[in-house]
Amino acid sequence: MRARFEPESFRLVIPSQTRYLNLVTGLAKRASMVAGMDDATSAKISIAVDEAVTNVIVHAYGGEADHQVDIELRFMAQSLEVHICHNGRAIRENEVVLPDPREYVKHPRKGGLGLLLMSRFMDEIRFIETGEGSECCMIKHVV
Amino acid sequence: MTDLSIQVRQVDAVAVLRPEGFINAHTVRQFETALEALVQEGRYTILLDCRALNYISSAGLGAIMGLIETVREHGGDILLCSLQKNVFEIFDTLGFTQLYRVFASEGEALQRLNGKD
Repeated sequence: MRARFEPESFRLVIPSQTRYLNLVTGLAKRASMVAGMDDATSAKISIAVDEAVTNVIVHAYGGEADHQVDIELRFMAQSLEVHICHNGRAIRENEVVLPDPREYVKHPRKGGLGLLLMSRFMDEIRFIETGEGSECCMIKHVV
Repeated sequence: MTDLSIQVRQVDAVAVLRPEGFINAHTVRQFETALEALVQEGRYTILLDCRALNYISSAGLGAIMGLIETVREHGGDILLCSLQKNVFEIFDTLGFTQLYRVFASEGEALQRLNGKD
């Protein structure tokens, strides 16, 4: 398991059910403020967390409600790191294709916007496969 | 408090749909159902009054995207008004403010849409 003593951090483990999303995003927003983000940035981080956790519930676990999603927020010196871990189907970085918003405007369709919001609202996003499962790591720097 | 409540009313030619709360993967089906009901009733000009919408995720945006072509094919449109700053940023970040007409207030939107200005 990951070290939990340095840096300061806290974890939340939820069942893979969308009814917990608002709980997670509320915590992410408050944590962002504690990390020194302004209101607007905190709102963006909470949306990115909503999207990332939704991806795990809907895509990695295929909507199955009896799994767990492990969310850890780490308070770094100049940034907030959000680590979202699961044991479902992994998203590999080379599979990630961000849609072009200009194409969306020309050809409206459903789907594919979550990753785009995550990438626009966070400074860094990484998808990592560990021996214990898969992880989405998102980083926002304090400015 | 419920996660999402939706009020719908008709003002002349415009169906005004007012979501209150948040729209994400958990509540999107409720939002989608309300939109689809309007379309099934032939109410193709839909104003989303977002004054009480705290946030919308990509699931909610997808629900709107899924109906935009249908309403426009029938001579209608989906329009937005009274967006909170963070909700506006989500639409704007994705370029959706080019796709949807956005009004500052419901009154301004209804005046324009119902041809009373």
